[in-house]
Amino acid sequence: MGDVTDFTWEQWFGVLLLAGVGVLILDLLRRLAVGDLGASTLTTFLWRGLVDGLIVGLAAVGLSMTYSILRFANFSHGDLVTTGAFSGWTAVWVIGGLGAADLGSRLLLNADRSTSARALDVHVYAEPLAIVAGLVIAALVTILVALAIDRLVYRRMRDSGGIPLLIASVGVALVLRYLIVFLYGERTRGVVRSSPSIDHPLLFWTDGVVVHELIMVGSAVVLMVGLHVLLQYTKLGTAMRAMADNRDLALITGIPTERVILATWVIGAGLTGVAGYLIVLEQETLNFNTGWFLLLLIFAAVILGGIGSIYGAITGGLIIGLADNVMLVWISGDLTRVAAFMLMILILIFRPQGLFGGVETA
Amino acid sequence: MLVVDGLDAGYGDLQVLHNVDLQVDEGEYVAIVGPNGAGKSTVMKSVFGLTTYMGGRIEFQGREISGLRPEDIITHGIGYVPQNDNIFSSLSVRENLEMGAYILDEVPEDAIAEVFNRFPILEERQDQTVGSMSGGQQQMVAMGRALMLDPDLLLLDEPSAGLAPDLVEDMFDRVDAINDDDTAVLIVEQNAKEALRRCDRGYVLVQGENRYEDDGDALLADEQVRRDFLGG
Repeated sequence: MGDVTDFTWEQWFGVLLLAGVGVLILDLLRRLAVGDLGASTLTTFLWRGLVDGLIVGLAAVGLSMTYSILRFANFSHGDLVTTGAFSGWTAVWVIGGLGAADLGSRLLLNADRSTSARALDVHVYAEPLAIVAGLVIAALVTILVALAIDRLVYRRMRDSGGIPLLIASVGVALVLRYLIVFLYGERTRGVVRSSPSIDHPLLFWTDGVVVHELIMVGSAVVLMVGLHVLLQYTKLGTAMRAMADNRDLALITGIPTERVILATWVIGAGLTGVAGYLIVLEQETLNFNTGWFLLLLIFAAVILGGIGSIYGAITGGLIIGLADNVMLVWISGDLTRVAAFMLMILILIFRPQGLFGGVETA
Repeated sequence: MLVVDGLDAGYGDLQVLHNVDLQVDEGEYVAIVGPNGAGKSTVMKSVFGLTTYMGGRIEFQGREISGLRPEDIITHGIGYVPQNDNIFSSLSVRENLEMGAYILDEVPEDAIAEVFNRFPILEERQDQTVGSMSGGQQQMVAMGRALMLDPDLLLLDEPSAGLAPDLVEDMFDRVDAINDDDTAVLIVEQNAKEALRRCDRGYVLVQGENRYEDDGDALLADEQVRRDFLGG
């Protein structure tokens, strides 16, 4: 718009950022051309970036939804991820490990160290039904836990503002986390066997695609598309967007706000629980801090995309995932996360409302 | 139709209205005017259940509605357009109208058609995001939303506030048109002269109490009212 001299700082920053990305892409092409960088290495980075990005994005959607409807940053969100992971995998072990180990050991995910994922042969080809059941249970348990917390804590504080709710959510996070420790113990344990992979030179660019990652990417994409359809094309979705947009008006329009809040928890927590479950499917291990450690990345994705926007959360997750992996072309592994967070800080400085800021989409 | 009798109301512990009486008959056009802070908007919010009810009686079509919540009051046939934030700015025109009829099971296409008929520009722009539209058009969306349930009484809180001066006339014309279709209108206006010129009856509210009540033209002609409240 207008003359170059009319650019605001924000627009200059956008130009610089795009120019920087452009230079990096040119450099990528150059490296590919001269053979510094194998095509398969790059596609591996991109695929890993997509996998990581979708995990973070899926978990971030739930946080973004509760933020836009309930107006607070839910610090217990990471522990809802952990809740989904533990409950889902417990279900997989209970269902899939029938006969392979005693129930107590399976119920507590091998807290007594008497069995292992190998002994139970937990992977998708051996236990397809248990894996699907685990996904459903992860969603259901996380929803129930989130609804119980809302009923016990957040609902009583509905109108007390963002800060008291945020502080309460930190307390909830600690309670949830240490309840999980109480049940399962602090040990990191492997709960999934290495994924089988598909080698198909015509279908896939790399040597082989890990089936568990494929399931993860497929589930995340289906859920995100489903959420998009729900928000844009259903009455409930429109009401959710309306309430995120203008809560007071929603109330006097006759939108049943408590029911919308309930739906928000059901959908947001369901997605979050599934995200936790899928993360473990992909990384094969879990412990009580799995979600808590992820929370920083989730917040980064949400802030990057513009807090309150679910499309922003998905985009933010993808940007962080891709930056984290593709940066490996130029810098060493320890520093890629630094690069991802530098990007977040830059965006916060120059575009504090986030990439999708100002446009809340519930 | 609407009878407010000795209403005391306010916000929390703060009482704003003292013993306010007010009446709107079937199809009537009534204006509430008065200085800033007189409690004009509070009267309207109280009718709609948005304030702390402290005493008195509000009746609508013979049924007591005092103390009811807004989501119940809309089902009785009262529509309300607040002064500020009266649209869902990130939603499309059509979605705003649909939300106005949320309590119905089906989207009432005939009601939407009626709003489009009344405000043709909205039909043209039905898929546009309301936040990107002009102030006058946003005002139409807000009124359209409130008309979706075909209310018998429409409450308008300062509809001219924030409009460009040349649009104010149009806005009043739109209100007249709504009133001509047998919807009673209760309007709160800072633009007191214009409101009194247009309405059937007016109330002058001062410090949370009724001070004058008469035909709009009579209030306009009243020396005392002119000097004290209409700036001569």
